[in-house]
Amino acid sequence: MMRLNGAILQALAVVVIGAVVAFAHNAVNVNGINPFRKINDVPVVEDSVPEEETNKTEGIRFVTLDGFRELLDAGRTVIDARTAVEYEEGHVPGAVLLDYYEMGSYLQAVLPDLSMDEEILFYCGGPECEDSELLARELYMMGFTKLLVFRGGWEEWEAAGLAVESGLM
Amino acid sequence: MSWTEMFFETQAHTGSPPEGGSPAGRWIFNPYLLLAFRLVLAAIFIYAAVQKIGRPLAFADEIRMYRILDIGPTLYISAIALPWIELLCGISLVTGFFLRGSAFILLVLNAVFLVAVSFRTAGMMREEGIPFMQVFFDCGCGFGETFAWKKLLEDSLFFLLSLALILAPAYRFVFSSARR
Repeated sequence: MMRLNGAILQALAVVVIGAVVAFAHNAVNVNGINPFRKINDVPVVEDSVPEEETNKTEGIRFVTLDGFRELLDAGRTVIDARTAVEYEEGHVPGAVLLDYYEMGSYLQAVLPDLSMDEEILFYCGGPECEDSELLARELYMMGFTKLLVFRGGWEEWEAAGLAVESGLM
Repeated sequence: MSWTEMFFETQAHTGSPPEGGSPAGRWIFNPYLLLAFRLVLAAIFIYAAVQKIGRPLAFADEIRMYRILDIGPTLYISAIALPWIELLCGISLVTGFFLRGSAFILLVLNAVFLVAVSFRTAGMMREEGIPFMQVFFDCGCGFGETFAWKKLLEDSLFFLLSLALILAPAYRFVFSSARR
């Protein structure tokens, strides 16, 4: 029993030390995050709600391939939320790489080119992938409010036989 | 034993299992076997931690696949802190500092992993209609994709090794004065 009590005390000490080191490292890590940011509170208009029935003009909305292409042709910024390797193999022409998981490493280069007043388009691997929506949520927390996610992603774009660009920009 | 002694395990010890223990106990708590247990667990958890440290969003996404934690502070706090706690446990197993406490953390973590992997496996079997032996996924443990049955076996083994370390009457080959 005494041995177990000692083990629990030691375990608490390891957890506390580990947490302190972890948060100190997170504070200086370029890919560190604020765990308390209210990412769940970002307004998201679900697909089932027609655009004209929503009063929300800000937040995350979803677009179809046609809508995505229309805005792309209108010169809106497109963000590819996949990894650098996937991006290099092929991406939507003109898309900017911003790997969601290595977000901190790319933000400094990408943020100055983004406009708060214009729609920003996001895509990732395909319908199963949530990285584009999660990345849009992160950008909303930074003050960008007109965010459009193309859920079909790279999978649908490629399947439609549309133009593809490869290599890193 | 005082609380301080319990915490630092400072009492001198011969480093051998007590006389008169059962043959199984004498075998399991053999100092060399315990050292092997420590090194195996340390290698696994240090490697796993290094894969995850500094990539909180990626690790958070892997934890989220288990549907235990939704996006929010608890998920992100776990993604930031867990890899470092695993790393400290690994270092502790090698050096001997807070050894029993680290073994206790690994016991709890492996118990949680076992439950989480079991639920995720059952969920995949139900949703995708695949048999148990064919369930294959990235467990988020830092070792990439694997079969669920293999992961369950591994976690059960790590659970038992951690338990043996907690119950061990003594440790040898430690850098600290902690031998009990």
